[in-house]
Amino acid sequence: MSASTETSPSDRAHRPPFWRDVRIIRIALQVGFLVAVGALLFWLFDNLTVNLRVLGIRRDFGFLDQPTGVPILGSDFRAQSPIRDALLVGLYNILRVAVPGILTALVIGTLVGVGRLSTNWLVRRAAGIYVEVLRNVPPLVMLIFFYIAVLQQLPAQADSITAGPFALLNVRGVYLPSIQLSAGPAPVFFGVLGLALVAAIVLGVLRTRRFDATGQPHRRVPLGVLLFLGIATLGWLALGRPLGLQLPVIEGRGVDGGYRMIPEQAAVFIALVLYTSSFIAEIVRGSIQAVAKGQTEASNALGLSGLQRLRFVVLPQALRIATPSAGNEFLNLTKNVSLGVFVAYPELLRIGRQAVGNGFPAPQLLFIVSAGYLALSLGISLFTNLANRRLQLSER
Amino acid sequence: MKTIPNAHKRRWRSMRLVAGGLVLALALAACADEDAEVDDPGTDIDDADDPDVDIDDGVEGEEGDDGEAAPADSGDSLLNTVQDRGAVVCGVNDAVPGFGLTTEDGDFEGFDIDFCRAIAAAVIGDADAVELIPLTAEARFTALQSGEIDVLVRNTTWTAARDGGEGGAFTLPTFYDGQGMMVRADSGISSIDDMEGAAICVLSGTTTELNLETEMASRGLSYEAATFEDNDTLQEAFIADRCDGWTSDRSQLAAIRSAFPDGPDSVSVLDEVISKEPLGPAVRDGDSQWLDAVNWTVIATMIGEEFGVDSSNVNDLVESVDVDEQPALARFLGVAGFDPGLGLPEDFAVQVISQVGNYAEIFERNVGPDTGLGLEREQNALYTDGGLHYPPPY
Repeated sequence: MSASTETSPSDRAHRPPFWRDVRIIRIALQVGFLVAVGALLFWLFDNLTVNLRVLGIRRDFGFLDQPTGVPILGSDFRAQSPIRDALLVGLYNILRVAVPGILTALVIGTLVGVGRLSTNWLVRRAAGIYVEVLRNVPPLVMLIFFYIAVLQQLPAQADSITAGPFALLNVRGVYLPSIQLSAGPAPVFFGVLGLALVAAIVLGVLRTRRFDATGQPHRRVPLGVLLFLGIATLGWLALGRPLGLQLPVIEGRGVDGGYRMIPEQAAVFIALVLYTSSFIAEIVRGSIQAVAKGQTEASNALGLSGLQRLRFVVLPQALRIATPSAGNEFLNLTKNVSLGVFVAYPELLRIGRQAVGNGFPAPQLLFIVSAGYLALSLGISLFTNLANRRLQLSER
Repeated sequence: MKTIPNAHKRRWRSMRLVAGGLVLALALAACADEDAEVDDPGTDIDDADDPDVDIDDGVEGEEGDDGEAAPADSGDSLLNTVQDRGAVVCGVNDAVPGFGLTTEDGDFEGFDIDFCRAIAAAVIGDADAVELIPLTAEARFTALQSGEIDVLVRNTTWTAARDGGEGGAFTLPTFYDGQGMMVRADSGISSIDDMEGAAICVLSGTTTELNLETEMASRGLSYEAATFEDNDTLQEAFIADRCDGWTSDRSQLAAIRSAFPDGPDSVSVLDEVISKEPLGPAVRDGDSQWLDAVNWTVIATMIGEEFGVDSSNVNDLVESVDVDEQPALARFLGVAGFDPGLGLPEDFAVQVISQVGNYAEIFERNVGPDTGLGLEREQNALYTDGGLHYPPPY
């Protein structure tokens, strides 16, 4: 396979001296590089600690237990809680935008990407404009645009836009009904939900077996959902309606009850979803075009409809190609949440900077903020790599 | 055959992950060591407690590396560096009318800018030998610590944490301020007690947030604070009714109100003052000679007002002062052959007052009743007029 395994005894005698031996040079270079990097890191760290000591700035992490001193926007966080908890809220706030953002961007991106290849002129052009405009505007500009020019132009609290009693929309946020649990029967109801889920999965498996045996359409998804909803509704009625809706109501200067999305979060979410979905659309388009043309022709020959062709033949293969690049876009979206500092969205960087401004040490906090974003990015990388590996294995 | 390189690649990937983890773990371990080394029972009590310990062991360990430990060794003071360089680098504000603002020509003007110029006049003899670096509230102490600027003159409040953990050293306050609350005139709010459940806009990286929390907690009011990175976005949000109140130092609120897009009468500043805000220049910790130079520049402007010396009469006074009859004034003007040993030129006060002016002139020119801000002297008057400025004797 490689040269080293095929070395014969006679070769060994003719080996060059070690300073010209490729194998030794290779190892020496790598070790040397590692030492150099290590030394550089050590020097930087040493430099930092020495300078901090000279300036009399603390270098430990003991401050994490001190009270934060300020509340956090859009959260129940109490000002007396330690700074450690504030940073965790920051991490949570990144995920609160990143997770739904990634899912939404994926859906929109896929639709637009498919749309770019549509045979319908209008759809194709519209998708093209969507991609070209959104892809070429910096995300920070979009963020500030949506925050100031759109969300800040909504009416004041007293003149909220309402959707019946269910939802409120004003300059202070988007208010939706929240789910309220009644204490007693709620756990039982969750048990019922679990049962319903198991029943739905069993039904799906049975339908699949039948499909494999007879070739009749299985319709496992709609049937499973129906079964789940049926059992859940019966359980809900039988247990005396343990889950209720809590509606948002204007109360004094604030709004009582319901779920609230602050405009800062909405701005970050909208801007990043639009920005990232334009890149995902391009990845999806490229991946579809990378699927061999014969596949399309074969499915046409089999008489599949356009939708069926996409669903069963083209998209499964295209998604496999798209996974690694889409993973990069997920990473970008997550990291771009840090732009939220500019519109007062309390993600990790915002909270770290706020703490620095309130007298907590900057080097340690920047380290924590970086480590937080790094951990999220590595987590997403790991996830996409796993997904990629699973998909790749089915390739020949 | 094809699967073998893949397996290699996979092993490599996991090795890289492990290596990354190792680097992180090492960094953490190193930090933990540092922690153990300086940790003392007082760690969790206060910010200001800990650095003392750090400084002590820093001085012991560092003496060999540089002579910073010896204040008498003038060769290492920033004062000499600045004099050799021929320019003072000041960290300033560029967005608060009256205190630090970029003009249409790209120059800077304001109360703090004048104090930076005064320092240049005292140290170098030329008020124009300044380099002004606009800084955000959050970046200012990092810039000071890293040596990017020589002195921070950016309406900065003197607090324990900044004096201690953040490594700053403050001169006498140049401006006594207090935090206030601005609301829209039609909001129906006449006192902070009316603000239950209100949304309040704050600028990030300021003591303002902490004062607001203290005030609202003591009044038992719930509120939400939206913390913005810059005043422009904050103003947009305030105008759009995102916030009921805008809290900041009262001098800043006066400045913002004077330039408010809908006119100054569309907003009002509540009467309540919710904090003490002594504002003044800050330098890096550990260089007392440079601190003295900056401090005595500030004091000189006030002594100038006390003695009735201003930019219009200072040069005549230098000619006419009688060393025997007015010894204090003569010493101040540097004509009595007196050198207090500050490392400044003997005539530094004359340079400051002739080129920039005394405290009263600086105040009137930038923030006084005839300017857009229209602030009265009040607590910023000299002690002889019932104010708080009490300059030590020269």
